[in-house]
Amino acid sequence: MAQQDIESMPPPSPQRRYTLARLFRLFQKELKETIRDRRTIMTLVLMPLLVYPILSMALNRFLLSSKSVAEGFTVAVGSDEEAMQLDRWLNDPRSAPPEAILRSSGENLAKFLVTVVKPRTAEQAVAENQVDIGLVIERIGSRTPVVKAIAFRGDGTSQAARRVFVERLHWLKLAEAQTVIRQALPGYPPPVIVQVEDVGEAKKGDMLATIVPLVLVLMTITGAVYPAIDLTAGERERGTMESVMASPVPRSLVLVAKYLAVVVVALFTALANLIGMFTTLWASGLLGMLTSDNTVPWMNLLRILGLLVLFSGFYSALLLCLTSFARSFKEAQAYLIPVMLLSLTPAMLSLMPGASLSGAMAVVPLVNIVLLARDLLAGSVDPLGALMAVTSTLAYAVAALTVATRLFGADAVTRTSEKSIASLFRRPKNPTSFPSPQASALMLAILVPVYFVVSNGLMRLLQSRGESISVNVQLLFNAGALIATFGLVPLLAAFLERNRLVSAFRLHRAPIACYVGAVLLGLGAWALAHEAFVIADAMGIGGLGEDQIRGAQQMIEKMRQSSPLLLLAVFALTPAVIEEWCFRGYLFSSLRQVLTPGRTIVATAVLFGLFHVLTGNALLIERFIPSTLMGLIIGWVAFRSGSVFPGMIVHLVHNGLLNLVMYYADRLNFLGQGFDDQTHLPPTWLAIAGTTAAIGALIVWFATRASVEAKLQLEPTG
Amino acid sequence: MLIVESLTKTFPLEDGNLCAVDGLTFRIGAGEVYGLLGPNGAGKTTTLRMILGLMVPDSGYAAIEGFRTDVDPIAVKSRLGFVSSSDGVYPWLTVREMLLYFADLYGVDPTLAKQRCQDIASLMGVSHLLDRRAGTLSTGQRQRVTLVRGLIHDPPVMLLDEPTRGLDIVGVQTIFEYIHRLRELGKGVVVCTHRLDEAERLCDRFGLLHRGQLVHEGSLEQLRAATGHRHLVDMFVEMIRS
Repeated sequence: MAQQDIESMPPPSPQRRYTLARLFRLFQKELKETIRDRRTIMTLVLMPLLVYPILSMALNRFLLSSKSVAEGFTVAVGSDEEAMQLDRWLNDPRSAPPEAILRSSGENLAKFLVTVVKPRTAEQAVAENQVDIGLVIERIGSRTPVVKAIAFRGDGTSQAARRVFVERLHWLKLAEAQTVIRQALPGYPPPVIVQVEDVGEAKKGDMLATIVPLVLVLMTITGAVYPAIDLTAGERERGTMESVMASPVPRSLVLVAKYLAVVVVALFTALANLIGMFTTLWASGLLGMLTSDNTVPWMNLLRILGLLVLFSGFYSALLLCLTSFARSFKEAQAYLIPVMLLSLTPAMLSLMPGASLSGAMAVVPLVNIVLLARDLLAGSVDPLGALMAVTSTLAYAVAALTVATRLFGADAVTRTSEKSIASLFRRPKNPTSFPSPQASALMLAILVPVYFVVSNGLMRLLQSRGESISVNVQLLFNAGALIATFGLVPLLAAFLERNRLVSAFRLHRAPIACYVGAVLLGLGAWALAHEAFVIADAMGIGGLGEDQIRGAQQMIEKMRQSSPLLLLAVFALTPAVIEEWCFRGYLFSSLRQVLTPGRTIVATAVLFGLFHVLTGNALLIERFIPSTLMGLIIGWVAFRSGSVFPGMIVHLVHNGLLNLVMYYADRLNFLGQGFDDQTHLPPTWLAIAGTTAAIGALIVWFATRASVEAKLQLEPTG
Repeated sequence: MLIVESLTKTFPLEDGNLCAVDGLTFRIGAGEVYGLLGPNGAGKTTTLRMILGLMVPDSGYAAIEGFRTDVDPIAVKSRLGFVSSSDGVYPWLTVREMLLYFADLYGVDPTLAKQRCQDIASLMGVSHLLDRRAGTLSTGQRQRVTLVRGLIHDPPVMLLDEPTRGLDIVGVQTIFEYIHRLRELGKGVVVCTHRLDEAERLCDRFGLLHRGQLVHEGSLEQLRAATGHRHLVDMFVEMIRS
């Protein structure tokens, strides 16, 4: 091209930023780059080709051994006399279990196939694994023959065969004993009459029907991992990220193109796996275990593919969130391995007996898709559960993609992650005002296991020595555990980073009116939290089971032995001070460095809600919505007032009120409404509580109007 | 053409803050090659990254053709070309695909981009490489392709960060020819390097950067007059010692 031509060319038009054609071209580039890499193809095609036939062979082997059990146990005896004696015993109808017991085990009476192994002994036949059990019968023809049953140590089938055989002889002995007793004592009643009955619905699908979608989902994840790393962290490692970020293209457009490429590769993987798996099942004759008529369920396969599209959409976005942050393959893998392992936990949940697509399970990522796919294969889908699963997965995908868009390329050159592990514990020379987001993330990472160990340790102590420890001491233990976790861990983090305590924990003075407003908000907020709990319960999100209600009532009865002041100190004052210190103090000031006020309030509220779900070794999901709602209210007060103290007052009044109501519940019956956790409050109560909270909020708003506006002008971006 | 005004950037460190670029101001005109020189850690690359919008300065701005980084960074980016010695390539794409991808990133019309890709490749002598997979190129070939990539959207200003690092004599010569061609095309060029001998041969004006501050600025003659030294190397030694 001539020099003049280059000079006369018009400058590029950055206005054409978001056209579909441009997105498609960028997507094509990402896809080409991924697909041409042979490592992708290895994961995409070779894995399903290899894995499923091997799995099928293993499954067939397992089924073959199960089939032999169904056909009968093989028994070796050393002589024809022994075989005849055995025949007499087994063909005696009295050796069969009673009708009721037989019915409860599916009407299947175990069969025994007797073989005479002469000249070898029965023991040898068992030792050589040629039969399931061996029998040596002595004193045949006497009144009491002696039988020795020989099984192979560690062989489940052999052990089961011996157990069943011994049981059969026991039934025979019992029947004879009953005959003798009836003859000797005609009116003697039997010690017990056994009846059996089945309740509940038949279990939907068997284990294989759950394992098939689970394997498909896990393989889809595998397919998405490599391209997600390659297109983000790989970009940094190759040295192309800086050039891309230096261009005027919007980051989100590049990220969406990468996202689409990852989704497509994940889908190819899903499709290859789906085809590989069902072809193997069909070819190996195992399809009948999934479908009633042993034919390929084409429509259901299409629906499952649709679910995998949805799932890969979500998981690809999640992977990009993490890999966008990494600077190298190594770093990305370090981030992804824990996430992959964590993904196995919900995957295991879907294998639990009785797991159904309803309530919380319908919104747990990965579990909901596996259960929905299982129900699709079984041909019985609950429409509400399916809708919740699809909608929640879509919402997760959008949320993850939004976060990934913000993370991708945001620090193309500024990252300094080469700090050693020792630097985490080395205090900087100069004090800083606010905790860094990295420090607060590390604090949270430490807080979770510390909280788990402390709360579980406390529970175990109280369970094992509960009787010898007084209620008052138990209450003090509770307070101590809270201080040790939510109090000391953030304090330690602030110490290590040399944060100034006043600014890091937002220990500023707030206008007096804020405290008045906080008291009113606390008085009214409990009703809103209660209603949130009832609504969540009605939606099937958590809710208290009978055991939990009984446990809570027992706990309340126990607490009534203590003074109300101590109760308030432990369950109102300590959480108010310590939890606010952690969430609206340390975490709020840290997240505020990188988030807008609204997002900071939401993030701290969600973390607050999540920590209330993690209690001991159980997940109290029903606590999430009310706690998060309280977190939002307190977070708003904390932001408006610029201080942690008014939020402590809201928290204190809210918890204090709830505890006093529980403590004096029996004296409040005159109000005409019990404090049943699963019923709505009367409208008049709601109106009074709502008005009180609204007045409190207005007071806080008015008292902080000028200071907040000034603050927002000073820090427009957060 | 390019105005850099009071650019400042400070990085927090464990034991205090490091001011990497401290109120840096300079400007270059069309067809001028400006050498931003300094030892490692002087703040050269940080300056380029702030001009490119890869880093947000604490204060100050850069401007091209009236567009400022703090007001319309996209307009500034679209008028800048950038080549760095640490630039990589997409190993699984052909050279043509990679060039067209970057043209797309800069919003060049796809039809025009194809023609432009062919023309610049011809101008830079890499036409024969266009359908080769980038992963199979030699170091020198990669460097040439990277130089073509920087020009794909015909920017008025080019920023070159240590362009000769790791290259052999032939590679360095290619860079020299490239910069001369840019000058002929009337582009403003900023070359960041610590290879002072090369800078003496290449640049029209120089900015000597030390600890984030511009210690001396001017043509070689002006610098000689100001420092009393004939060569940039001597000027630097004295600057660092003082």
